[in-house]
Amino acid sequence: MTKYWRSLDELNNPVVFKKNEIKLELDAKRAVLKKASGSSRRDFLKTFGFSVAAAAIVASCKRPVDKAIPYLVKPEEVTPGMANYYASSYFEGNEYCSVLVKVRDGRPIKIEGNNLSSISQQGTSARVQASVLNLYDDARLKTPLKRGEATNWEEIDSYISKKLAQLNADNKKVVLLTSTLISPSTKKVIADFQIQYPNVEVVQYDAVSASGILKANELSFGKAIIPDYRFEKAKVVVSFGADFLGTWLSSTEYTKAYSVARRVLQKNDSMNRHYQFETGMTLTGSNADIRFPIKPSEEKTILTAIYYQLLQAKGEMTIAAPGSPVDVKGLVEDLLANEVNSLVVSGSNDVNTQLIVNAINNLLGNYGATISLDKTLNTHQGIDDNFENLLSELKSKKVRGILCWGVNPVYNHPKGQEIKELISGAELSVSFSDRNDETTAACHWVCPEPHYLESWNDAEPKTGVYSLAQPTISKLFDSRQAQESLLKWAGVEAPDYYEYLKSNWKNNFTGLQTEFTDSRIFWNDVLQKGVFEVVTENQDSLVYSENGLDVAISLSNENSGGWEVAFYQSVALADGSFANNPWLQELPDPIAKISWDNFAAVPVKWAEENGIENESVITINGVELPVFIQPGQAPDTISVALGYGREIAGKVGDGVGKNMFALSTIESGSKKLWISNADVQTTTKTFELALSQTHHSMEGRPIVRETTFDEWQLDPAAGNELKEEHEEHHVSLYPEPEFKGHHWGMAVDLSSCIGCGNCSISCQAENNVQVIGKEQVRNRRIMHWIRIDRYFTNDAENPEVYHQPVMCQHCDNAPCENVCPVSATPHSDEGLNQMAYNRCVGTKYCVNNCPYKVRRFNWFQYVQNPEFDYASNSDLGRMVLNPDVTVRSRGVVEKCSFCVQRIQEKKAEARVAGRKIEDGEIQPACVQSCPADALVFGDLKDPNSKISNYFKNERNYHLLEELHTLPSVGYLTKVRNKKR
Amino acid sequence: MFTTKLNRMREYFLGGSYMKKRPIFFSLLVFVACFILSTNIYAETNESVVSDGHSHEDIARGERFFKGLLPFDRKYSSCVSCHNLKQVDTLNWNPSAMDIAMKFVDKDYETFQASVLNPSGKKMEASHVNFNISEEDLKTVKVYLDDLAHHGTHPVKPTFNNLILFLFLGLLITWAVIELIFLKKIKLKLIPVIILLGAFGWQVNMIVTDAIRLSRQQDYAPDQPIKFSHKVHAGDNGIDCMYCHTTVEQGKSAGIPATNLCMNCHVIIREGTNSGKFEIAKVVDAAENGKPVEWNRIHNLPDHVFFSHAVHVGSGKLDCAQCHGAVEEMDIMRQESELSMGWCINCHRDTEVDIMNNGYYQHHIERQEELQSGARDKVTANDVGANDCMRCHY
Repeated sequence: MTKYWRSLDELNNPVVFKKNEIKLELDAKRAVLKKASGSSRRDFLKTFGFSVAAAAIVASCKRPVDKAIPYLVKPEEVTPGMANYYASSYFEGNEYCSVLVKVRDGRPIKIEGNNLSSISQQGTSARVQASVLNLYDDARLKTPLKRGEATNWEEIDSYISKKLAQLNADNKKVVLLTSTLISPSTKKVIADFQIQYPNVEVVQYDAVSASGILKANELSFGKAIIPDYRFEKAKVVVSFGADFLGTWLSSTEYTKAYSVARRVLQKNDSMNRHYQFETGMTLTGSNADIRFPIKPSEEKTILTAIYYQLLQAKGEMTIAAPGSPVDVKGLVEDLLANEVNSLVVSGSNDVNTQLIVNAINNLLGNYGATISLDKTLNTHQGIDDNFENLLSELKSKKVRGILCWGVNPVYNHPKGQEIKELISGAELSVSFSDRNDETTAACHWVCPEPHYLESWNDAEPKTGVYSLAQPTISKLFDSRQAQESLLKWAGVEAPDYYEYLKSNWKNNFTGLQTEFTDSRIFWNDVLQKGVFEVVTENQDSLVYSENGLDVAISLSNENSGGWEVAFYQSVALADGSFANNPWLQELPDPIAKISWDNFAAVPVKWAEENGIENESVITINGVELPVFIQPGQAPDTISVALGYGREIAGKVGDGVGKNMFALSTIESGSKKLWISNADVQTTTKTFELALSQTHHSMEGRPIVRETTFDEWQLDPAAGNELKEEHEEHHVSLYPEPEFKGHHWGMAVDLSSCIGCGNCSISCQAENNVQVIGKEQVRNRRIMHWIRIDRYFTNDAENPEVYHQPVMCQHCDNAPCENVCPVSATPHSDEGLNQMAYNRCVGTKYCVNNCPYKVRRFNWFQYVQNPEFDYASNSDLGRMVLNPDVTVRSRGVVEKCSFCVQRIQEKKAEARVAGRKIEDGEIQPACVQSCPADALVFGDLKDPNSKISNYFKNERNYHLLEELHTLPSVGYLTKVRNKKR
Repeated sequence: MFTTKLNRMREYFLGGSYMKKRPIFFSLLVFVACFILSTNIYAETNESVVSDGHSHEDIARGERFFKGLLPFDRKYSSCVSCHNLKQVDTLNWNPSAMDIAMKFVDKDYETFQASVLNPSGKKMEASHVNFNISEEDLKTVKVYLDDLAHHGTHPVKPTFNNLILFLFLGLLITWAVIELIFLKKIKLKLIPVIILLGAFGWQVNMIVTDAIRLSRQQDYAPDQPIKFSHKVHAGDNGIDCMYCHTTVEQGKSAGIPATNLCMNCHVIIREGTNSGKFEIAKVVDAAENGKPVEWNRIHNLPDHVFFSHAVHVGSGKLDCAQCHGAVEEMDIMRQESELSMGWCINCHRDTEVDIMNNGYYQHHIERQEELQSGARDKVTANDVGANDCMRCHY
């Protein structure tokens, strides 16, 4: 049997590992006991219980008077206690997602994906899910600021308009520095602003830009564009360091498409083959069928080798192909067999690399097939050179004023300190940030912008794909949309961006469609749907030319030596703009399973040879970083996540991890996110990491079952032979469970699941799951109701990776139910394993007896407790809580409920309407927004439901079937499309 | 010698031994807190504003006049006979002293005088007749009322009957124990034993009954900021419950009507048969000045209970009165039912569900077949899973 392992310690020495694990747990328990007072908990409860009862008698204890305050004038669409959904658009940190915002009694509390959008297709990412918490962040600015002191808008407006006019009169340049702008109306506002102030220039700056692709396409096609990648059409996907499932360009869209091309349920389903070349193990790499760990400097060499081999095979080139550090023969064969149906992408920011990628795609005829040039992706428009120009102009005092909007170069640029001085030294420096950050702190004036859930806006993420954003709550603080500020300074007396937006849509968008003639009806329709897509005619078709290719190839052999350190965007924090979001900080990294820190991922062999262990501290160019020994890390390389080490982010994000933007370099005008010849030194120090990877030992049992695509085609039950064996042996003393009405079940397709963590955050938002902080995560008390286990197999140098979401299995023969002394966790008539918090006395017997380790104990009061000062310690932060779910207190056990509040809500709705519940009508939070559609939920009593079909699928199995717990959650075997 | 003692004392208060006493200290705290809480409830309901000062004599004289304690020719009844100072169990339609005080606190004497002596509205005209109050007296009344608005009525002290009884039983127990062990005066030992057991049993009984009642509030009928009578609206005028509680069939909550809904009728009806103009004026004031009415909440389930009106009324077609009682006879709204878990569960066990005529219950096809074949004569809410924990707790 394949040996599955979760960490190197376990692989090398399982006995010692097991002992260590137990010791760690004991230590943690001892530490807790030491803290406790002299009297035991039982003594306390006894005395307390008696005194309450006695006090009740003598004082006839009364409840405080509660007030019930009805609306003065009830809005027609609001029913107290019932949620409304509004379509809106998320665009932050270069990530676009069309969303539905769930609003309960005037408060947005949950983000769902919009199924009408052709881009996100009801999927979201963990960052999108967590964005609702940013709305209720204590770190948000409450008023406009003048040099750090509160001021008012009148003062700001009069000063800045005057200053702008003066700079304009003196013909001094002012720069509006923004992140990528995808809003057509905002662009119009800026154009209006520039008419008033012709001295204003717009520079778009992205923390992690796609300059390389943009510039390469300008050379190849004459236009700086990002094409529309169609992953669902590709039979062979080759990615060079592009984490397209995690953070690259439009990851939610690509995840949807990628999982469509890999779903194997019925006989004739096909599956793409995914090759990944990368330095560190990324989310995308962990899902690849064939993965090559390479140094960043080798990327171009390998690409050139592939290009030449392709040319040779096509007979267009006779000279021998240059050597490649890895064997790419099989890959070239696959590419040639799938011309027109293949896709090669690279995450590099280097123009030459991208030029070779373009050449390969052109050679394979992928343009017009898997890569569409008709529609362009607009979410990354920043070109690094422009920003470097701006810096030199600021230095030479050519630019006298700077308006920063949605950018934080002081943090995310290697010359941060210098930029800080340049900004604060400018004659006029304004920030529109809604919170204080490194750049905002350097600006003289701060005109806080509202959160996107409080704002009007529109977006054109892709050519012809439009969407609207609408406010779902009135502004919590004294903020003003930046568009209104710009209009105000341009001389509009009472600017109203909503009216501006509406009239812009009336004038410029109504004509793009024929369905509605009345622009108001059109507007209402788009507002309701959130999206509006234009069927575009083929624009002037772009023709490929080999511009610059020769140079690119001639430069393909990069000289490099020593350590190469690659910087990547982590799935949780990406570019770090959400660093103050405790949900994201606590989301374990999909591969390393570390939260609350970034770390240096080092290769296994080097660590063994040098006696380095996890949590040892090394220095990289002088920056101290804790080590995580990463299976699959390319030799002589180290990977470190960006997005950490914020200095001014808020109480949660300040000083978490180290800032790696500071170590990145600028090479020929572009930000280069890897360095060579790094100075790596070992130290004797250690640094504690919140590792959650060794939690929940599965004791080497066949938890993940797998097969290959070829075997699956021969026998759909391949890899799942154990199931039959177990089912033969099923005998039980307990009566057969009987279900009344429904039998809820869930299926997880391990082949689709990419392990992105969206479900964990979605569940956290829906079910009021609390953040517990680094120390408690270290103590193995993370509260997530749905965790994603990650297992490695085979070679530690380049392992295969499995992601497995595990939530309460809702066993029909549940071991936890039998041991509860107070019947707090009985079984429902509908197959749910129920948890009654108010009955739980906290014996934790159920936690011990659960073979899946999905039950969570509230070791502390996490709400309104200054010791856990994350999101739930202020009235503002608690506004995000879902009123339909009890907030658990200290001393009770909690776990996944299959989102029972949603089940009951839909059941009530169906009952009132007198109809049956449709299949797929009820969707738990994790299922609803899964970008890979890996989760399915439904009624197992309905033989035709989707879930029943999944359960009937030959790939379906249950966790620890041999225990006869009869879980209501099924897993579909992992299928990999390996090459024979 | 002295210092060691001091140290020991310090240790006692700060160190380990203090920790041991903490549970007892904590329970004492709860004990005291309950007292404070129970008295505060009344103080809270009588809001007061900051005083601007008058002589205490004026205030005292005004109070005596208001209460009818001054020797004078009594052609008319005293103020307090209609405008009560304390809370009462039955509904007094006339505005209370506090109501009047709050209304006139920021108005001048002339307005007050005009209102008292030149009554408007039928109700007031009928009662405020032949008022011959000297200006001097009326001024002191206004001063007294202003003071009332500032300082509130005196809080009603909680009764201590239960406490006295409890302590008395405790004494009995103590005496019985001492008698049995030390004094041994009574030869028939059975007597102190019976007294001991009886007293202890009584105490336990008191604790149990009151502990069960803890945080339940059956028959709770607080005074409301507006003397809104369900009897007048639902009973006398026969307005359907759902005219005001609009969301009862769709939402979890039945909904407390928004003030603009009151104004549907009260835009015209400005004077009531019982209350005259005073109470309705409060609704109009709330609607016009944008100050929502702060009702005292009566039916209040614990936070971990999720109850849906839609399921019970919209789908189950239950009559409102089944849980809320004869609301159309209540002047002061009262919580009719216990609203305890036992009460819910018992009802679910008995209440029949019409599963044949609601499309949803096709999911319960087995029950439907049993009904049709006669294998079962009825299907109760319990049979379709109404008593599952997670039906209400999640």
